[in-house]
Amino acid sequence: MTPMSRVRARRWLGQACAYATLVAITLAICFPLMWALSTSLKPKSELSTPPTLVPHAPTLENYRHLLTGKSQYFAGGSGEYQPTTAPPQYFLSWFGNSIIVSLGSTVISIVISTLAAYSITRFRYKGRMAVPYFSLLGYMVPSIILVFPLFMVMTRLELTDSLWSLTLGYVSTTLPFCMWLLWAFFRGIPVELEEAAMIDGASRLRVFGEIVLPSALPGIIAAAIFSMIVSWNDYLFARVFMNSVDHYPLTVGVMLFFEGVHVDWGLMMASAVLMTVPMAVLFMALQRHLVAGFGAGAVKG
Amino acid sequence: MTIRVDNISKRFGKTEVLRAVSLEFTEREFITLVGPSGCGKTTLLRILSGLETPSSGEIWHGDKPIGHLAPGARDIAMVFQSYALYPHMDVFHNIAYGLRVRHTPADEIRRRVGEAAKVLEISHLLERKPRELSGGQRQRVALGRAMVRRPWLFLLDEPLSNLDAKLRVTMRSELKRVHRALETTTVYVTHDQLEAMTMSDRIAVMDGGFVQQFATPEQIYGHPANLFVAGFIGSPPMNFITDVALSDGRLVAGGAQPVTLPVLRIDRFAAALPRRAMTAGIRPQDIALSLSPVADAMAAEVQMVQLLGPEKLVEVTAAGRMLSVIVDAVVPVKAGERAWLLFDPLRVHLFDADTQRNVLPAPGLVS
Repeated sequence: MTPMSRVRARRWLGQACAYATLVAITLAICFPLMWALSTSLKPKSELSTPPTLVPHAPTLENYRHLLTGKSQYFAGGSGEYQPTTAPPQYFLSWFGNSIIVSLGSTVISIVISTLAAYSITRFRYKGRMAVPYFSLLGYMVPSIILVFPLFMVMTRLELTDSLWSLTLGYVSTTLPFCMWLLWAFFRGIPVELEEAAMIDGASRLRVFGEIVLPSALPGIIAAAIFSMIVSWNDYLFARVFMNSVDHYPLTVGVMLFFEGVHVDWGLMMASAVLMTVPMAVLFMALQRHLVAGFGAGAVKG
Repeated sequence: MTIRVDNISKRFGKTEVLRAVSLEFTEREFITLVGPSGCGKTTLLRILSGLETPSSGEIWHGDKPIGHLAPGARDIAMVFQSYALYPHMDVFHNIAYGLRVRHTPADEIRRRVGEAAKVLEISHLLERKPRELSGGQRQRVALGRAMVRRPWLFLLDEPLSNLDAKLRVTMRSELKRVHRALETTTVYVTHDQLEAMTMSDRIAVMDGGFVQQFATPEQIYGHPANLFVAGFIGSPPMNFITDVALSDGRLVAGGAQPVTLPVLRIDRFAAALPRRAMTAGIRPQDIALSLSPVADAMAAEVQMVQLLGPEKLVEVTAAGRMLSVIVDAVVPVKAGERAWLLFDPLRVHLFDADTQRNVLPAPGLVS
């Protein structure tokens, strides 16, 4: 073996190892998801032994039940729809609740944190540097410690069991981090851009809207995605704040499949799959913006 | 109409960046502010732009005070060192932004952007984003953005410092060409004295928050007002010989190794020279070097020779003093050899050792 080919062989081996590791990690991460997808497509009869990854007779029955809200337990005999208290009929409400709460808290969080972060980076006033550091500190406190004081606040405000309590609760957890993230981002936007626009005759507000916001878009999108995920996935706040079944968000609602007589794995997994869809779509739609449009080319070379 | 910088001072906290700076220039002039980093030149430019407010003093445009106006209300344009192109807008919209803000009609915008792009030869780039442009192209876009509004004053903040050496020379003449075509009053900030010398009608040399000298390039080079200007302008820097006094009609440098300076004739200024200690200055280009003994010359030993292309930079020691001399590249001078130096009496500068001011009323010791 010549030294040259030995180097090449070693490099090839290294690459192969790297890829093998990556494939293994990907499989490990994807396995639960694949399993959920597979289970959600199985008819009830297939759920017992022995488990297989590929369903023998795939069916969309579980999804149909979730999305039409008809119970498979009670409608069987007559073929007629009878209202029940079984969880599937609430699935769409839960879904709606989750979307309202996540979107609402994200919008509020982003609007406030964008303005706050801009103010911290561009204006000089006493104590402004304390804001980003304290907000990060607040983020390090486990939410289990915060949830009960927050609950008491919500009780005082008479907001418990309303979607507002969740929306505001999520704002209180996501806002500090969003602000910190955007603060770091705004610092990276050269102040000359704004000065140039001001010399061009634009007002401070116009500079903010037409120059700063577009430049900060990747950061804003990153913060929004973070905020969406936190609100969408939260269980703790919803569990504590909400009482009525039809006010639950998805995370808490889906847990009802565990209660009662049956643990309906098919419905459970179908819910899980449907739950991931909005986040997956969001990611795919926005990931381009996360990288593209970065400040490149604005200053220097 | 004149533009008058009237007694402008600027403090940042306790630091005094500008100390009672006054300048006056007329329309169509190309003024350069030059000086080392921290001399206050950029601060002065930013005060002219309105991005910075002076701690005291006023800016006058004709008989109108403009020091209190917001940047957008001054109708001036500025080109930033970093270009500061809007990254999310294509070239057309970058150039058009100022017009759009001022509600110029769309067809007028298109016409004027087109014109500016043509002058700067960037018509084919109008749809590109800044990140798709080279450094020189970005520079032109930044210039276009400034030109298109037809401001009465251009402010340029080290616009060439991010370009490579070759492009810098091209853009230098380009800037000059644009200035000649538009005849817009221009204030240009640079730390590069070559740029200052080649482009300006007048140069303000700044240091420590003061304007050290405000004059034409010829005057600045030929008759520097003080030691700072003399040392800052010119490359390689001027040689200084300290502790010089007039003795028997000759200039004699004192110290451990006293030496008579090889200046042949000191005519009518001799009587006017101060009786105090002076510092003599002579540029490397203004020293004649001979490889054989010459009457009245200063004997020296060659330490180092560097070929600069058409000429050689020769470092010599004479009476314990280091001097640099520029000679033609064909002169066969080598390190270790003896050499004899003569100073051009028309080009010797004398500065008061205390006040550091040039004590000669006009260039040269003879007239």
